[in-house]
Amino acid sequence: MPDYKVLLRYRELLAPFEADQGDLLAALHALQHAFGYVPPDAIPEVAKKLRMNASAVFGALSFYSEFRTTPPPQNQIMWCSGPACRLKGGDNIRLVFETVLGIGMEGETPDNEIGLHLGQCNGTCEAAPQIWYNGAVRGRLQVADAVELARRLKAGERDL
Amino acid sequence: MASYAELRKAADAAWAAVDRPQRPYIAVSIATCGNAWGAEQTLARVRAVVQARGLECDVGVTGCNGLCFVEPLLSVTWPDGVRVQYGKVEPERVEALLERAIVRGERGGELAVGTLRGSVAGVAPIEQHVFWRGQVRQLMAVCGIIDPENIDHAIAAGAYQGMARALALSQDELIKLILDSGLWGRGGAAFPAGRKWDFLKVARRTPKYIVCNADEGDPGAFVNRNLMEGDPHPILEGMITAGQATGAEIGYIYIRDEYPLCVARVQQAVEQARAYGLLGENILGSGLNFEIRVVRGAGSYVCGEETGLISSIQDSRGMPRIKPPFPANAGLWGLPTNVNNVETLANVPLITRNGADWYRQQGTERNPGTKMFSLSGDIARVGVLEVPFATPMKSVLYENGGGLPAGHALKAIQPGGPLGGILPAEGINLVLEPEPFRAFGVLMGSGGLILCDDTTCIVDLCQYFSWFAEDESCGRCTTCHGGTQRMTEILRRIQDGGGRMGDINLLHLIVDTLRWSNCVHGQAAPTCVQNCLKNFMDEFLIHIQERRCPAQVCRGLIRYEVIPERDTEAAAGAAICPTNAIKESSGHYAIDQGLCIKCGACKERSPRAIRVVDAMPRPRVSALPEQPLPLVAAPAPAAGH
Repeated sequence: MPDYKVLLRYRELLAPFEADQGDLLAALHALQHAFGYVPPDAIPEVAKKLRMNASAVFGALSFYSEFRTTPPPQNQIMWCSGPACRLKGGDNIRLVFETVLGIGMEGETPDNEIGLHLGQCNGTCEAAPQIWYNGAVRGRLQVADAVELARRLKAGERDL
Repeated sequence: MASYAELRKAADAAWAAVDRPQRPYIAVSIATCGNAWGAEQTLARVRAVVQARGLECDVGVTGCNGLCFVEPLLSVTWPDGVRVQYGKVEPERVEALLERAIVRGERGGELAVGTLRGSVAGVAPIEQHVFWRGQVRQLMAVCGIIDPENIDHAIAAGAYQGMARALALSQDELIKLILDSGLWGRGGAAFPAGRKWDFLKVARRTPKYIVCNADEGDPGAFVNRNLMEGDPHPILEGMITAGQATGAEIGYIYIRDEYPLCVARVQQAVEQARAYGLLGENILGSGLNFEIRVVRGAGSYVCGEETGLISSIQDSRGMPRIKPPFPANAGLWGLPTNVNNVETLANVPLITRNGADWYRQQGTERNPGTKMFSLSGDIARVGVLEVPFATPMKSVLYENGGGLPAGHALKAIQPGGPLGGILPAEGINLVLEPEPFRAFGVLMGSGGLILCDDTTCIVDLCQYFSWFAEDESCGRCTTCHGGTQRMTEILRRIQDGGGRMGDINLLHLIVDTLRWSNCVHGQAAPTCVQNCLKNFMDEFLIHIQERRCPAQVCRGLIRYEVIPERDTEAAAGAAICPTNAIKESSGHYAIDQGLCIKCGACKERSPRAIRVVDAMPRPRVSALPEQPLPLVAAPAPAAGH
């Protein structure tokens, strides 16, 4: 049971949404937007508000790859998994980030400073192969550039 | 309530202020592709420079006109009506450009891509730009010209005119009009839009729903994004007309999470249309009611499948289900529903505004109209273009797109998304129509065209698409989630050097089995493998029998090594190695193969000293055996589309 202030915040965020209107995704987006993730203890509140089973809410929550139930890393590297990036060596870039940072895809460093996330192609293929570092595109990467970026991150630099 | 004529009059006046401005008007192209190259910073810089120097001009935004390869884009309109498109206007180039174009009034310059209107000495009209040639821009006519966040601009460009005209028609007349135009669904299945509407019209239960599928999940396809970011109103207009024709009063637009700018712009367009009385109750006084809700997806590819999309909207996991019943009978909340693609709906206003005969002027008898395509991969000019059907693919890819990087040959073409299949190099001679693609066992799909040059490994490409299908499988039917996993495992094994001849049979077996999946995701998942087993069997056999990867991509089959004669020149490579696998001993470098992860960073830094060689000793194969036969006969194509 969350703290009552948190509970009120959940209720405030969920206020615009109604049952049987197709509002579940929007409700989860609202929570994720406010907290950076969907707090698991908000699930019963969502369920109550949308008149669903908590298990059904969790089922949907865990189905979509963009929702997360743990706090997001301070800095996120989103690796583009698209085919244009793949053709230009994107797979090696993934390998390098995983190796240098010592974390797997969808993993975070133990201090939650840096996380790796699998991104989907959004059509900025002119920049292939690319990553998004905290939302900003870093495009036309060579594998060696990726090694340098990963090393700088590992050394504590955050402003790439 | 304002009539269309009144709205148009006010809109024309608002647009004229920008189209024939009193003082120069600068429009920066703000779209996902431009933002990747710093368009937002360019816009901020333009505003800062204009303010700091007190320049006599106005600044606005626009969408993208498809010239992704020269982002960030900026256009200037002068009071005499001349409009010039500039490209590669990075923030640091803004000041010089404004100095030249606004202060000194010189309209040409090295950044000028072409004139959008009027003539300027030294700058060719944009129609003569190589990327523009052969294009017929009906859907994209005003993408990159109007402000997508301003409904007046859209109305002045003709939006809602077709809808206003259609309001006078009956349901049957409207459906006949769409049937006469020959418009078919652009999402991939190519089903006639008019017939789909008719199914919904005759459905008895109410309420009925129109759903716009803007979950453009196919990686490498970004045509819908371009449309939603550049000119969102025709999509809403198409939905309203679809509602009128079918009796639906509620519409949903399901936009994928990766397109936040599309969500914002479409949401804004909906609110503006509502404020103008073009949406909501009693539209333009006609008695027609239609409401649109925008739903933002959350990163699931199968939600692009219509039944998956429907489950995703109705508060559950986006799992597709078996058809029939088709959505026209049982869709959203079990009620009659039509799911149409963004591009299909955007075509509707063109037909209602100009008539079916006009629409049929482009394209062919069977495939009238135009189609947008996005070019990416190993191609010189990445971008979005719109051509009539039956345009030769070769001219689109080689002339507009600029073809492959110098010195490389074409190996394959990947149209229609991960499930669309892979065309061999001779497929380049096809024309852009669904039928010739089908003859190759490939789908033309939703508009992505990805060019693969000879550095591509076909087994790796198959593994990639197989992995994608596995990763995005919803998990409902074992055929799909188990089949795609197994297919990926086998391809990985071949890539790692453990391939066996029996794997070819296993792949054939999985290809045939996956066809029996519940939904089109599983049914189409093996298309790439199927095409490649047919067209690139020799490459599979080289991987399996000779244990080598001709393109030197598969990590299990290659080894990086320092060239012995140049082993003193690998210092830069040693420094970049992420695992410190390159060891130095009295000035000579060597790679510790136990530590090497085969990422290739060293070869980029020391290209002279490091090379890639085959990792496996070549087994002695006296003669290649004949191609193995599939274990089972291919079943009939799955019914139900």
